[in-house]
Amino acid sequence: MARARLLRAVALSASISLFSGTVESFQKPPDVEAILTHLDDLYRSKSSTSRMEIRVVSRRTTRTLRLKAWSRGEEEVLVVIEEPAREAGTATLRVGDNLWNYLPRIARTIRVPPAMMLGSWMGTDFTNDDLVKESSLHKDFVSRVERRSEDPEGWWLTLEVKPEVVGRWAKIEFLVSDDWLPIEERHFDRKGRLARTMRFDEVKTLGGRRLPARLVLTPTDVEGQSTELRYLEIDFDVPIADDTFSLSRLEQTR
Amino acid sequence: MVAGSTLRIAWRNLWRNRRRTSLAVAAIGLSVALVLAYYSLLRAYADWVLATLTGPMLGHVQVHAPEWRKDRAMDRTIEDVASILDALRRDPEVASATVRVYAPALAALGEEGFAVIVMGVDWEAESRPGRLLAGAPTPRSRGRVLMGRALAEMMGVREGDEIALVGQGADGSLANDLVQVQGLIETPVDFVNRQGIVLEIGEAQTLFAMPDEAHEVVVHARDPDAVELLASKLAGLPNLAGTEVLDWQTLAPEMVSLIEIIEVAGVFALVLIFVAASAGVANTMLMATFERTHEFGMLLALGAAPGCIVRMILAESVALGLTGAALGGTLGLLFVAVTHETGLDFAALTGGGPTELSFAGLSWSMRFYPSLAAGDVGRTILAVLVTSLIASIWPAFRAARLEPARALRD
Repeated sequence: MARARLLRAVALSASISLFSGTVESFQKPPDVEAILTHLDDLYRSKSSTSRMEIRVVSRRTTRTLRLKAWSRGEEEVLVVIEEPAREAGTATLRVGDNLWNYLPRIARTIRVPPAMMLGSWMGTDFTNDDLVKESSLHKDFVSRVERRSEDPEGWWLTLEVKPEVVGRWAKIEFLVSDDWLPIEERHFDRKGRLARTMRFDEVKTLGGRRLPARLVLTPTDVEGQSTELRYLEIDFDVPIADDTFSLSRLEQTR
Repeated sequence: MVAGSTLRIAWRNLWRNRRRTSLAVAAIGLSVALVLAYYSLLRAYADWVLATLTGPMLGHVQVHAPEWRKDRAMDRTIEDVASILDALRRDPEVASATVRVYAPALAALGEEGFAVIVMGVDWEAESRPGRLLAGAPTPRSRGRVLMGRALAEMMGVREGDEIALVGQGADGSLANDLVQVQGLIETPVDFVNRQGIVLEIGEAQTLFAMPDEAHEVVVHARDPDAVELLASKLAGLPNLAGTEVLDWQTLAPEMVSLIEIIEVAGVFALVLIFVAASAGVANTMLMATFERTHEFGMLLALGAAPGCIVRMILAESVALGLTGAALGGTLGLLFVAVTHETGLDFAALTGGGPTELSFAGLSWSMRFYPSLAAGDVGRTILAVLVTSLIASIWPAFRAARLEPARALRD
């Protein structure tokens, strides 16, 4: 009896996969190169200003930060904490590979040493490295379409780092929707372990572009921990004063 | 059992051949003295390993939040440490208990940041002899810190400089402050010298938003040999429910073998003494009985029971062994008495090698302090006694089985 049911179930699932196979064959695999170029430039532009909210969930507390950010090209970023009041004015400046933190309470600017690049940025699950790295999906990885995803609909791409590239991730699995927006990104470290997962949602129009406004980063090794970043507003290609990305300006952020 | 007269006669018999007996006593005495000296050095070594390991850093028992040892995350803290310390210090087996905070941070003199570990410690407890900050200056006012000398050299920091500390509080908030470097320290613990900035525990708790919390409780036991028991007892304290209480052997298993090797070495020494004493005693007693065949024949002919002869020879041999043991014991104890206080400078003994060596992230002074326990001396004397008896059994029974008539003819 049980055996018969099992056999039926197997037959049924086989026919389903056959059926879905035929559907897939009609769905043309996407142009990976074009998607990656699109993803690389999704949040980038010649210049931008944005406001965002970061919620850090830890075992102990949930902390919410409000930030304002300026960027120009791929090399210059300034992020200033606006809330909570206790940390307001705390700022991070990136120019090229260098990262500085400005701490208004002690009125000091400190350059983050290379040894701390993988350390937490402002107590979030983002690393300092995440702010600095210019890793380009398009340039640094060899990519291929892995398989079709049904729910949510899209394509799983597998990106493997090129042998000559020195970086944190050996492999990235990327789920991209049919309208070329990121849904999920899984980062595997150099030892092949899943290190963290990023999920993108709340797609809406920001700064004239349709993009996910929310990103949830979940590190694999720390249970109960995650960081959620939500863009409140973004303006692309706006004029930004030349001295925005300078140390002297950094110290006047408050 | 052995009458006083038997002992007296045995003693007299022993010294009938002064030279032979003196030589035997000297041989036994020397080997006992060497074994005792060897034991005292083993003990010095064991104490040295234990003190270097557990003194400044590890302690005998440590308490952490579960998992802290795995990732050393800031937020894995022990709460209510004041009441925990109270409870621990009430235990009569606990010599001292102190708490620490460990916070990874960025330190900067100017603009360059350096990765450091900020340690919050109890100045008073950590400044005692043999502890982490023994001999270091202890800052008395707020905002003063001590800095590892190697770290200071790397950062270009000098005494009196003001540095910025930036880290993350236990609640994830930003922790930052300016502190003044009161002194540069050279501790026995490498990582403190290379990465450590030491802050008073209360200030560390404030800076890192963890009032009445800590990452580590370090307990030193009154009896370092009963640590396992103490750890399991402390783990049962209601204040320590939900924490991880471990003895140093569990915390540093790779170090346990450094001490366990001593037991093997001790057995080796005992074998040595068996060989030396039995050779000395057996030879002496064999010679003595061969020489006195005529005498034993006479005694037996006069009606002495064979048991009486056996007892006398055994008594002679025990007297010989114990005399040697007494001499050796005196020499051995003298050696320990001379070296115990000042210690043996191993560097000088080996011709001016380094006075310290670095191993397992700790610096190990090359000075040893020999010591002996009553058990060591007792065990050695017992070994001599047993060996003397065993070695004289054959000569004794040989003498007892003599036929008086034939023995008298010899």
